[in-house]
Amino acid sequence: MKKKKRGVEPIYYAGVGIMGVLFFLFHTISFLKGVFYSFTDWKGYGDWNFVGLRNYLQIFKDTDTISAYLFTFKFAIICTILVNIISLILACALNSNIRFKNFVKGVYFLPYMLGSVIVGFIFNFIFANLIPAVGQHLGIDALSTNLLGTTSAIWGIIFVTIWSGCAFNTLIYLSGLQSIDTDVYEAAALDGAKGLRKFTRITFPLLAPSFTINMVLAAKGYLMVYDQIMAMTDGGPGISTTSIAVLIYKKGFGGGQFSYQMANAVVLFIVVVAVSVFQLRVLEKREEKIG
Amino acid sequence: MRRKRVFGTLALVLGMTCLLVTGCGEKTKELELFSSKAENADSLQKLVDEFNTLHESEGVKVVLNTPADAGTILKTRLAKNDVPDIMSMGGDVNYTEVQSAGVLADLGQESYMSSIQASYQQMVYDVQKDKEEVAYGVPYATNASGVLYNVDKFEELGLEIPKTWDEFLSVIDTIEAAGEKPFEFTLKDKWTGLCPWNSMAPDLQPDGFTDARLANETTFADTHTEIAEKYLTLLDHAQADFMGTGYDDGNKAFANGEAVMMINGNWAISQFTNANTDFNVDMFAFPASNDPAKNYVTSGVDVLFCVNKDSKNLELAKEFVAFMMEPDHAKQYINEQFAFSAVEGVVQEDAKVDGVKEDIANGKVANFPDHYYPNGFDLAALLSQMSLNHTEGMDRGENIKQFLASCDEKYDISNVQ
Repeated sequence: MKKKKRGVEPIYYAGVGIMGVLFFLFHTISFLKGVFYSFTDWKGYGDWNFVGLRNYLQIFKDTDTISAYLFTFKFAIICTILVNIISLILACALNSNIRFKNFVKGVYFLPYMLGSVIVGFIFNFIFANLIPAVGQHLGIDALSTNLLGTTSAIWGIIFVTIWSGCAFNTLIYLSGLQSIDTDVYEAAALDGAKGLRKFTRITFPLLAPSFTINMVLAAKGYLMVYDQIMAMTDGGPGISTTSIAVLIYKKGFGGGQFSYQMANAVVLFIVVVAVSVFQLRVLEKREEKIG
Repeated sequence: MRRKRVFGTLALVLGMTCLLVTGCGEKTKELELFSSKAENADSLQKLVDEFNTLHESEGVKVVLNTPADAGTILKTRLAKNDVPDIMSMGGDVNYTEVQSAGVLADLGQESYMSSIQASYQQMVYDVQKDKEEVAYGVPYATNASGVLYNVDKFEELGLEIPKTWDEFLSVIDTIEAAGEKPFEFTLKDKWTGLCPWNSMAPDLQPDGFTDARLANETTFADTHTEIAEKYLTLLDHAQADFMGTGYDDGNKAFANGEAVMMINGNWAISQFTNANTDFNVDMFAFPASNDPAKNYVTSGVDVLFCVNKDSKNLELAKEFVAFMMEPDHAKQYINEQFAFSAVEGVVQEDAKVDGVKEDIANGKVANFPDHYYPNGFDLAALLSQMSLNHTEGMDRGENIKQFLASCDEKYDISNVQ
């Protein structure tokens, strides 16, 4: 017995080890380098000096950065909530015995297979050409201009993000739903639980682990939103849809503020970690209570 | 199967290493021509091939290299002290960066220097460190920005080319009275919002503004109200969805006659002809001022050549630049690229730019003012914000005040870093 326990196949260590080394080489080192340069005035090339915390202090004075944070949080909160509600509804519907279930599942998963930049370009065309044409035809003023060129551009991006983002969360909810023991439902049915009551008392509590994962992954992903925005509005009009990631890229590489935006990236990293840890704490406590 | 692939990869790697090693060999003299412009790669390659055939017997070979994101690559190579033999780039911040690193050869004694238009050489000096007047860079091709107009519609409506702002306004009125749209704006792509600004600012801003602003002796708020005011006036005569129209869509709409004028540059013309081969377009200098003498064509150095002073083949590199500057070759380049030449006597004869070619040949040109703004000052975003506020019905005076104030604020921020 004891011998067997010790004898872990070395191939497992090799597997973990190789991945660990690769991860360290290509992710951790570059990350640490970025942190290092955030304390300098490096422009991305040439000479540099240490400037201490100057870059970090500048962030709090920079109105562009502050408005980018406001936009990012607004975007992430709205998207996280809507994506989770819609995915949950979709998953419940797809889990019931509807017709063409597998076909419909495929249809809903399709947007996830497309890259978000492609999706962005497609919707760019829809917003710029198709919707205004329909709006003008019907004589609806609000629809006859390109939504992405107005102060409501954020809603265009949110719509596209939800459309392409729901698939993945639906998938996780579906697998969660399928792992719920049918015995539980039978027992509930005997006790007379039906419809919404069955959902709030049985299904949703038992979905707690999936809910936690989905909330954390969605919030993390949407706080770092980048490609949809680059493809659809390029941060405009003005800087009204500039997210933190977009700001970092644009000013860091195009504007010669490499080290300053590195500091910004470090702050974003801390914010994302903090939000995720907070969510995990709260949601895991909830899981324990239910469990 | 798998083993074969491994061998294949190994062979490829080996082969590439051999190539690299022989590339560094002494037998052939290989020069690198680094170009930061993807659009002119074909035209440059043709001329490079011609040069290479001429020098085949000597074993000289110029190799064109046009990487993506060339500006960043050039800066990193600069940091590694791996400077290409010959460089071709725009007269912008990237050039300033290379020039101020002190790696460029002085080309002032070359025979072609006397045939270069002084105003363009001056633009190169202006972006050099401390405005040093030494010819480290030779201007080659230039571009032009102004008002592009539909020639057929102008004739139909009996319009003349406006020479002053007041004439411009009456042209706009006539167009509107005839039920046509005066302007197509494409502000969905923010950079296009810079075109009217770049055309008006040289005519209307006080002399020496860029230097004075850099030294913090003046502000946008004190000097640029008229420009911002006229900017909003233009927007009042644009198509309804000017904020939501992108560059490609706008070009198509303009080429198909949906608007009479568009404020952009010669680079857009090929897009017009792609959308409508019969499109009859010409260009005139933006008449921002009521003094016709002040209404310059906005024209900047699109391509300049410079040479690494420590190149192993310095003489050959200089010879290549001289080859490019020969009038026949300069002419071939501008014809293919639809550009203008910095070489005197080499004139763009295409009718599509008829209206500005005389001014350009006479040197009545002003550089793009945004070439002088600090790196990181995102004026396009500020203009886009002002335009957005305008569509939201914000008070005109308040909007302009806010816009100019943020211009000064952002300028100062990017000037420090």
